[in-house]
Amino acid sequence: MMTEVATTLAGARKGRPSILRRWVGQALARNLSCLVVPGPEVALAHGLNLAAADMRIAATPRDATVLLVVGELSQKLDEATAVLYAQMPRPRAILVLGGSEPSSLPKADVSADLSQTELMEAATRLQRLLAEDAFAASPDDFDSSILQTKTEYVCPMHPEVVEDEPGSCPKCGMDLVAREAGGDADAGEHDHSGHGHGDHDHGDHDHGSSGFMSMVEVTKDLPRSADGLAMDWLEVPFGPCFPGLPGGLRLTLTLDGDGVTEGQATSLVAMGTPSEEVAVETFIERLAAATPLAPVSYRLLACRAIEQAAGLEPDPAVERGRAAALERERIASHLGWLAQLGRQLSFVWLTRRAAALQLETQRADGEQLVVLRPALQALIARLEHTPLLKARLKGIGALPHGSQDLRGPVARASGRTEDARQADAMYCELGFELYIEGAGDAWARFRQRHVEIVTSLDLVEAAGDPELPKLRAIDSPSGTGEATVETPRGRSTLQLTLERGQVVSVELDGACRQHIGLAADLVEGQELGDALVAVGSLDLSPWEVSS
Amino acid sequence: MTVAIVLLTLLVGAWLLAVIEAWLTTGRLRPVAPLLAGLSHLGRESILARKPDRLFFETAPVLLLVVAVLGAAVLPLTPDLVIADLATGALFLNAVLAYVLVSLIMAGWGPNGAYAMIGGWRFLGQLIAYSMLIVMPITATAMRAESLLNSVIVESQAGLWNIVYQPLGFVLFFIAAMALAFRSPFDLPTAPGELAGGVDAEYTGVRLTVLRLARLVMLITLSAATTVFFLGGWQGPLLPPWAWSLIKTLAVAVSMLLVGYYLPRIREADLLGWCWKFGIPLALLNILIVGLLILVVP
Repeated sequence: MMTEVATTLAGARKGRPSILRRWVGQALARNLSCLVVPGPEVALAHGLNLAAADMRIAATPRDATVLLVVGELSQKLDEATAVLYAQMPRPRAILVLGGSEPSSLPKADVSADLSQTELMEAATRLQRLLAEDAFAASPDDFDSSILQTKTEYVCPMHPEVVEDEPGSCPKCGMDLVAREAGGDADAGEHDHSGHGHGDHDHGDHDHGSSGFMSMVEVTKDLPRSADGLAMDWLEVPFGPCFPGLPGGLRLTLTLDGDGVTEGQATSLVAMGTPSEEVAVETFIERLAAATPLAPVSYRLLACRAIEQAAGLEPDPAVERGRAAALERERIASHLGWLAQLGRQLSFVWLTRRAAALQLETQRADGEQLVVLRPALQALIARLEHTPLLKARLKGIGALPHGSQDLRGPVARASGRTEDARQADAMYCELGFELYIEGAGDAWARFRQRHVEIVTSLDLVEAAGDPELPKLRAIDSPSGTGEATVETPRGRSTLQLTLERGQVVSVELDGACRQHIGLAADLVEGQELGDALVAVGSLDLSPWEVSS
Repeated sequence: MTVAIVLLTLLVGAWLLAVIEAWLTTGRLRPVAPLLAGLSHLGRESILARKPDRLFFETAPVLLLVVAVLGAAVLPLTPDLVIADLATGALFLNAVLAYVLVSLIMAGWGPNGAYAMIGGWRFLGQLIAYSMLIVMPITATAMRAESLLNSVIVESQAGLWNIVYQPLGFVLFFIAAMALAFRSPFDLPTAPGELAGGVDAEYTGVRLTVLRLARLVMLITLSAATTVFFLGGWQGPLLPPWAWSLIKTLAVAVSMLLVGYYLPRIREADLLGWCWKFGIPLALLNILIVGLLILVVP
């Protein structure tokens, strides 16, 4: 794909060009703040260094000048992105990196491929565009059908009376009151997707209602929360691009004050089952692109399953390089989680340090990883003794005993000996030893990942240079194959059937399939901050969930 | 004249702190960055949230700025450079700082959004936890000076700064000042990772510029207060008094930024619990110790 640049800025602010506005444009250009969709962790996993391109990550759409879309968006995320874009103040710009342009948005101002050099170049072009075209005499309106809300009219006394037009109630003759339609699930979802800033009414009584409002009157019929206080319950969406949660995940919390009474996590980017036949190479690329947080692991998974279907025996030399690549990705992924934790807790030092190390790890070969080891160990040692951090994580998000089908670090932090690497002869040869934390809370998961970073370093050192998984030479075989890989977030299994070199049927069991359902239990009855830490500590990848 | 000098000092200080803060978060020292950020905020749309409480929404950022400037008005930079050296200066500062809460509640309620509202209520929930830790250490410094005049409080530290005379009070005041300025790790009302900006979340354009400026000036005012009450104010060898005031204030502000840089956000329940269970008893103990010292040491 070529870098494409628009000639005018679609998100320009209305105003005739003047000297002052030109200065503003130049200031905007030199102060690019981006809202990253799906999220900063996806940009990092792709090896993008936004800071090097002079871009700052914005926490909210209100604070962003640039909407940065990284990779392909699912239909649901596409629509949610339109709401985010609408919430950004003008002048605003859209930058799409490596993916088709989101259908719900205006045409992208700059689109380029997914690489650091392209990003740097795109940033420069974007800066020029903002500096020159931040203001336009008649900018385009952005009026997507997704943003439309319907107004309906209800009777204050008879909730069952809902009309499309103003008038009086057929039952009691009172004037109908306007209300925003949001009762049906679909409209509600569109309305509140994204950050949902400003979309929420404070319960049933809005500002401006006249007369004295008695707290006792207003709350007498409301359900009581655990502390016995009756308050308005608010259903608040967090995500799919919330700064403290993985991008693509929507956590809907019912809040009672700042306590969570119930919650539910859904993925907007879950993998669909491919319906058409595809060539094996295409299948591998698609699977890797569909799991941006662990592309190497899923590439390996696909290669192994296809090779098994083709009847190839594992080649130890190839497997060593693949194991090293898998372990390198595990280190990078855990560092990415630490950076995410830093964003969630406004722990700037951690975010910067972990992100920098993640970028270095992704690029490192075997020797460079050995060089990185002291830095990684220093980070871990420092984190374990950081004041307040233990208080923040200890006892939070404890998984109930008997939670079904846990995987990966989440399982191992709850004392389960669950690791696909144990069954792998190659790993025995490399001297792999399983480490298990027992407590099952966020702190245990935090420590578990620390130990796994060190274990993976040992494994890479024993295995040699990481080799990106590539499909070994096969003809056009037919057959069925099954493979299991311990991805950074847990075991994932792929079964597929080949017919003359085409993948005809696929069954994928993603690593986070079960974990996403744990969120509901973990948030219930928690204070908001603790609930978000608990969900964050699961390191959910909404991509690795089957829809 | 004095007013102009103090206001200019506040502005320059805000600029300096913004540069340092950006340096910490991006690793780059760019002196023009705050000016560019300010200019670009001014040039962007000022979006009004749907069904806002307009009065609260518009007032909150301005109120926060006014509070910060009023607080600075009673703090002496040199024996002569103070807008109003009130006879009840120390008390006035307390009274002014109470309006930080009012401003945040307004900013929380005004935009009619859930994140902002929770942010505002969070700050209200912490009210007594931190404000007692502002009041009580100041009380102990006033006891030593036997005056509520801020300039007398500075002069009372001529022999020994209060940071040494009452270190406990200093630690408590420093922590409470950070909580009152809602800086990380006490950024509960804004909490980017939990509330997507909280009380800041709905502000854009000119209003956001005022809000950001107010938060920086607030940090300076509280650092200056720490300097006046605990670090001997303008006193120091060789350099002129105003230089000492500036150096000390800046040092306090930068150390607050550094603490926030290296720490994760505190749990809301922990902050509340620790303030009530340890902070307030310790602040009382501090008053007791200072009282005994005043009686025993001539």
